Amino acid sequence: MANLKPAMVADQSLEAITPPSRAQRLGQFLQALLRSPGAKVGAVILLLLFAVAIFAPAIAPFEPSQMNVGPALSPPSAEHWFGTDNFGRDLFSRVVYGSRLTLMIGLVAVGISMTVGVVVGLVAGYTEGWLGNILMRAMDVLFSFTETLIALATVAVLGPSLRNAVIAVGISSIPYYARITYGAVLVEKNKEYFRAAKTLGARHGRLIFRHLFPNILSPIIVVATVGVSVAVLSASALSFLGLGAQPPSPEWGAILAAGRDYFRRAPWITTFPGLAIAVSVLGFNLLGDGLRAALDPQQRQS
Amino acid sequence: MTRYFFKRLLSGIFTIWITTIAVTLLIHLVPGDPVQIMYAQSQSTTPEQLEQIRRNLGLDRPIYEQYIMYMGRILQGDFGTTIRGNQPVLDLLLVRLPNTLLLTTASLVVTIVVGVTAGFFAAYKRDTWIDSTLMTAAILGISVPSFWLGLMLMYIFSMQLGWLPVSGTSLRNLILPAITLGLANAASVSRLTRSSMIDVLTQDYMRTARAKGLKEGTVLSRHALRNGLVNVVNMLGLQFTYMMGGAIVVENVFAWNGIGRLAIQSIFQRDYPTIQGFILIFATVVVVVSMVLDLLYVWIDPRITYK
Repeated sequence: MANLKPAMVADQSLEAITPPSRAQRLGQFLQALLRSPGAKVGAVILLLLFAVAIFAPAIAPFEPSQMNVGPALSPPSAEHWFGTDNFGRDLFSRVVYGSRLTLMIGLVAVGISMTVGVVVGLVAGYTEGWLGNILMRAMDVLFSFTETLIALATVAVLGPSLRNAVIAVGISSIPYYARITYGAVLVEKNKEYFRAAKTLGARHGRLIFRHLFPNILSPIIVVATVGVSVAVLSASALSFLGLGAQPPSPEWGAILAAGRDYFRRAPWITTFPGLAIAVSVLGFNLLGDGLRAALDPQQRQS
Repeated sequence: MTRYFFKRLLSGIFTIWITTIAVTLLIHLVPGDPVQIMYAQSQSTTPEQLEQIRRNLGLDRPIYEQYIMYMGRILQGDFGTTIRGNQPVLDLLLVRLPNTLLLTTASLVVTIVVGVTAGFFAAYKRDTWIDSTLMTAAILGISVPSFWLGLMLMYIFSMQLGWLPVSGTSLRNLILPAITLGLANAASVSRLTRSSMIDVLTQDYMRTARAKGLKEGTVLSRHALRNGLVNVVNMLGLQFTYMMGGAIVVENVFAWNGIGRLAIQSIFQRDYPTIQGFILIFATVVVVVSMVLDLLYVWIDPRITYK
């Protein structure tokens, strides 16, 4: 609202109905978001997760790949909180460093699927016609393949590695974002403000970026937040299957997979990375649920 | 109904047709020489032998010719042979497919029983501690990786208590993988059931049924559950699809001898004929089963008429 010309706000009586400023709206939104206990817990988990990732070198007592810092396969103790693995590496340090990989994986994978999906959905929804039809048909076909199959096929083509697993997970969710965007665009296109802007002769670029995009953003943000949790789960599953991060990477799925050989003797190697995955994913899920409730006008009123 | 059926059938056939094209292109998208990659891990192969293999696989011909050849072979039930051992791919897949279907079906039963029951009670006892406990459990369930849940269940029930075998492919072995895969999906089903039941429970006909003096049990089972379950049946197709995807991971946790386990092995070995066959079979099963479940839904709910 800052770009309104002075002449338009000169009338004092208008001030009473001036919409809240951006900062005010953000404050209201955060209030609505943090009203739910779930979102609070989620936000705390994610803050901790980011803190651990950023300050990993300060938090971890050992280097993640340093061997024989303690006796091999020793159970959790005061010195090695999560125990040690078969190479005598400190599991706590490995899990701490693994948080960096997990966040990177989740954010990059969602970045890929969201960017491509939103562009496809926007183009398909904005143009409709034959191009939109073809694009959405293609998304339907991809959707019916299921995310797992798309991810596996991608890894089968590119070969197993962490980078390729992230790409695979990113590609596998594209249809999902495309569908959400497409649906939202179709709704917004028929609203009065959009028709008005169009009638006034706004150019395509302005229509898309100034009018459509800001209005379809909130469902996409919700989907993307929960999407990070889905991406983390899928990527760690690929690593667990040996198709993602490779040893000695401290990626949580990879640690878990390597620990399977010592499952009977040293169950802590599989337990802690799994817990770390579950807690991180829970954080994104809780925050996603909270965002959905806070952004949904129907729920906000009640 | 007939028209809907044919429309659904056509789109299913379309999807499978696209899959055959994707599967043919797959091998060409591999960076580098696929033949060399395929044989790199096995015995040392001479360049002449590699040329021979390339010819046998038809990789020296133009893509459209390869596609026609591949389609011709598939329609005759020839999915090629594995890179190591030269076994027919279709036989390998068909031997394991029933195991995967058994696992997914058993898991679907666990999902529905646990998910619908939890969702129903959460909705019925809405905003009480029962509701919040169940929904907390549900969001935890969504967040736990299935492979980890499987390993933890295996540790408790097989290794510590010794009640169930660790791994293998028999009926006794089915219990843990089915619970693992079922619980993973039950969490999301319970959330969906809850919201759909809350809709139903606040309908006018519920009040009418109670006002008529019907017993609470009758009101719930005849009026609430029946209407609420329509939505659950509607998601069955999608749930089955998720199950098939999840089965790939869970089969590998419990060494359950299904097509998912074969798929991961063949990706490791870069066994492209097997990978191609797997993708084709997987996509076909998903398309066919979700089509059948969707038709079932239309048949069950008389309110829905597809024109």
